[in-house]
Amino acid sequence: MDLPRLELLIILALPLVAGIVVGLMGPQRGRAIRWIAAATTAATLLLTLHVAAQFMRFNTPRAAQAEKRVDTPTFRPLFVPGAPGVTLHEGNIREENPHGTSWNLLPLGPGNIQFFIGIDGINLWLVVLTAVLGVPVVLVSWNHISVRVNEFYAWLLILQTAMLGIFLSFDIILFYVFFELSLVPLFFLIGIWGGPERRYAAGKFFIYTLTGSLITLLGVLGVVFACYTKNNNELTFSIPRLVEIVHARLRIPNEEERQFWANVQLWVFLALTAGFAVKVPLVPFHTWLPLAHVEAPTAGSIDLAGVLLKVGAYGFLRLCVPLAPDVSLNLGLPLVSTLAVVGIIYGALCAYAQDDIKRLVAYSSVSHLGLCMLGMFALNSAGISGSIMQMINHGLSTSGLFLIVGMLYERYHTRKISDYGGMAARLPLFGVFMTFICMSSIGLPGLNGFIGELLSLMGVFEQQWQRDQFPIYAVIGAFGMFLGAWYLMTMLRRVFFGPLKEPPVPEHEQHDPITDLTGRELTALVPLAILCVVVGLYPQPMLDTMRPDVKVIEDIAGNARKRVVLAAQRGPAVVENDRGEGAAP
Amino acid sequence: MNGSDVAVSLGGVFSLIVPEILLLVVACVLFVGSTIRANRNLWGGVAVFGLFLAAYALWLTAAKVPTIEARAENGENISTMLFTSSILQTRLSLLVSAIALVGGLVLVLFSWNEVPDQHAGEYHACLLLSVAGLMVTGAANDLITLFLALELISIPTYVLLYLLRHDRAAQEASAKYFLLSIFSSGLLLFGFSYMYGMTGTTNIAALLDALARDPNRLPALALVALVMVVAGMGFKITAVPFHFYAPDVYQGSAPAGAAFLAFMPKAAGFVALLLVLGYTWIGGPVRGLALGPQVPILFLILAALTMCVGNVLAILQDNVKRMLAYSSVAHAGYMLIGLAVAPDLSYSTGKPITGGAEAVLFYLVAYSAMTLGAFAVITLLSTPERPVETVDDLAGLSSSHPGVAILMALFLFSLIGIPLTAGFAGKFLIFFGALAIPADQVQLSEHALWFWRLALIGAVNAAIGAWYYLRIVSAMYLRTPIKPIEQHPSWPGVTAMLICAAVTLGLGVYPWPMVKAARAAILSERSTDARTEPLAKTRND
Repeated sequence: MDLPRLELLIILALPLVAGIVVGLMGPQRGRAIRWIAAATTAATLLLTLHVAAQFMRFNTPRAAQAEKRVDTPTFRPLFVPGAPGVTLHEGNIREENPHGTSWNLLPLGPGNIQFFIGIDGINLWLVVLTAVLGVPVVLVSWNHISVRVNEFYAWLLILQTAMLGIFLSFDIILFYVFFELSLVPLFFLIGIWGGPERRYAAGKFFIYTLTGSLITLLGVLGVVFACYTKNNNELTFSIPRLVEIVHARLRIPNEEERQFWANVQLWVFLALTAGFAVKVPLVPFHTWLPLAHVEAPTAGSIDLAGVLLKVGAYGFLRLCVPLAPDVSLNLGLPLVSTLAVVGIIYGALCAYAQDDIKRLVAYSSVSHLGLCMLGMFALNSAGISGSIMQMINHGLSTSGLFLIVGMLYERYHTRKISDYGGMAARLPLFGVFMTFICMSSIGLPGLNGFIGELLSLMGVFEQQWQRDQFPIYAVIGAFGMFLGAWYLMTMLRRVFFGPLKEPPVPEHEQHDPITDLTGRELTALVPLAILCVVVGLYPQPMLDTMRPDVKVIEDIAGNARKRVVLAAQRGPAVVENDRGEGAAP
Repeated sequence: MNGSDVAVSLGGVFSLIVPEILLLVVACVLFVGSTIRANRNLWGGVAVFGLFLAAYALWLTAAKVPTIEARAENGENISTMLFTSSILQTRLSLLVSAIALVGGLVLVLFSWNEVPDQHAGEYHACLLLSVAGLMVTGAANDLITLFLALELISIPTYVLLYLLRHDRAAQEASAKYFLLSIFSSGLLLFGFSYMYGMTGTTNIAALLDALARDPNRLPALALVALVMVVAGMGFKITAVPFHFYAPDVYQGSAPAGAAFLAFMPKAAGFVALLLVLGYTWIGGPVRGLALGPQVPILFLILAALTMCVGNVLAILQDNVKRMLAYSSVAHAGYMLIGLAVAPDLSYSTGKPITGGAEAVLFYLVAYSAMTLGAFAVITLLSTPERPVETVDDLAGLSSSHPGVAILMALFLFSLIGIPLTAGFAGKFLIFFGALAIPADQVQLSEHALWFWRLALIGAVNAAIGAWYYLRIVSAMYLRTPIKPIEQHPSWPGVTAMLICAAVTLGLGVYPWPMVKAARAAILSERSTDARTEPLAKTRND
């Protein structure tokens, strides 16, 4: 096995193994546990960066391949352990299967659930983001967590594996397994080490997400069986292959077939949306989020906001749009876009109304993720790239905000905006970093937030402009960005500027004198800040890497658009037949 | 059939039930011995020895006597054996025997310290008898044998429930169980008698063969038989509306007794349903439809009712045993989905994909492991002075007993159906089967839609289930103890718990071997030729 494949497996397994080891060490050896956790996350980060560097070497050939591609658009992950997959046909004929691996987990009739992980342009940066955030998460909990230390780091590391697994999976069941597995560690992280309402928050988070994801499971199985019945009893769980089959079947100009897939797509879209909309969260399903974010310990908030919210958006991008393209266009676009703009405005207004800084940041996530979804459902290149960039940037900035809020809370044991005032004079480094991260979150040009927001809004604008509509979504989205500046600047002004107002230092416990950021805290914050600048100034490598895969989704959506337009023009019975082949290749 | 045939078939039968006979012998030793000495360690040890002896005998038998499927695959003519023998060695019977022995071992281990010294012998003897009963159930090929095997489970149960505890609640529980169990046996026999009336034979293979000849023109009596059989078994598997004894009985009896009830009758009931309704019969298009095409509809309704009632009522419970009783009702509902689905899976495709009946078997193992595990934890932590009754009694368990708490969390997450546990693999297979009903054929589409709805009900129920299991997890991990538990776990209890945990985790992480075994037990070809002429011959003899 060549190096990147091995590294991929280590990235996935290392945190899990370390988590189990740490869990068994007992709560007394806190120091050793912290160092093991830090070393593990650092090693994961280094390996991930190495994988990313190797992946970027393939940028040019992948771009060339994407340009001249004639076959059905689908994802083509690299570095798949156990690849190439082999399909055994009757009579012992072995055929190489490009969309799978030879590592079978569970054979079910003619198909196999496979251990199919890999890297492509869409998940690469999310994996990197997860690995990057792993380090500050450990560092920020260093002194903050003093009870049941072994359990805390064990759950944290297991959560790391689950999150990486979600992004790396290319088998639809494996994806689901990691997706649900991420609930358990976070339940404990929120429930044990959280704030006063932690039990309620943990329970609500768990039940909400589980309910959604169970319905998602049905949707996932629905696609699998639709492909099974329609495509010569081929049972596959590989996401690229499913995308390919769905796309090929959608081209068949047969009224019965069209009816069948219209039905399937509708239900699949609804089922997948049930799970992912809770996770993102889109507005009516967001009520678990402020609670879970506020009650979670800082580390939990960062993993939740930085990574797990992206799981919802990633699910839409990886599964929902490619597997139900027509419905995503017909129903998803207006539905999700509407919910997204409602979320942008509603989240921003709620954020402004908060007196608790953490709650403010939590609501700002609702707003920012709204923009991310708005961009994605523009279903064009700019929008989708912008959406992915927005996921990464929101991960960086919001984690930074949660980090600073957590550090502030560690010192004063209050998060109320009204308790603070003029803190920049008292804690100048805090002031600098807070201002910086707020700017990045607002989307100041030159910092990371800008590029994602700009691309998303461009995508939305283009999408509506081309159809001769007033770009209402883009206008509201842009207004949302303005609101973002408004509530963040207000918070910044009230907490860090103006006359000094320092909350009383809690006396009931042993406390060092209040100091500015320590070396450990700077180690957590500085890399995030540097990344904000780097991504803001030079996003081109990231955009280049994701372009071929964004193009896949764009092609899928483009073909869906053609179908919809043609169906509308020529009446329902005539459907486009662009290549006219029967079954999937 | 002349005398020598009877002798031959009897001789053949005896070689097949050596493990069961060994268990009976050990049970007799226990019954007699317990009148001489009262010592739980001694009799517990003897019971474990008996189980290992039976396991060894089972292994020898399995190695020596080929299963009926293996014979068929070797091209032997199995029809005589199939249509005359009252006990068959099949892959299903081997699997059920293995489940029975492991389950029996777990039950012996974790009631080790719970049973009073003076009753230890009788208690373990009753346990071994019902293990033998479950083993015979899996191998039965005759309605009479099947009924006797089920009674061999039920009758010791009445004694067993009473031996563990003597208070009023336990008396009420065992009396209630006794009366209702007798009633259900009556229903079952009634159904069996109709089956005999329709076909003129009590041999299950012959009976299924006769019913399969003309599956579309079954007499109306078949429907009566179906309803009666399902009602009789419904009691054992706690399907709604035959479940209402369960919460009271579980709550009233000691945790070990409740665990016994959650495992033994339920396993026997499902295995018996698989046999009687022809789920293991490949003779024709009758898989599961031996008593009429109404089977899927009947089980569909039962499954939906059972899941919903079990889960919703479990939410309302504060008593852990009562909660687990409703949870076991709910899980019976999930398994019933598999029974409802199975007939259609084989209708539609030549090569049915996993789901349906083999999913039921898989789920049965998974369910047994996680439920027995949860009861093992409760047993382990209960003392007469401080029984674990309500959820609050488990509060703060993670700080006083971190090891026990993490295992209990494993069992509960498995009951919820979180990945990497047996519960997830089981639910996945069940739902997979329900969604696998093909929808593309016009005549099936409406039908398939119903199973999709059933799967949706199942998924919603799984989410409801999470609510009350999570309450226990929250109590253990997120709360401080109200009354600290000071019980020090004993090694037999810990061993029982570890066995359950190993099965729960093992089936979750790598389910393939068990899926394969379950599939072999259900889908094996029992030679399609077997059902042609020989039946007429045996009848004429």
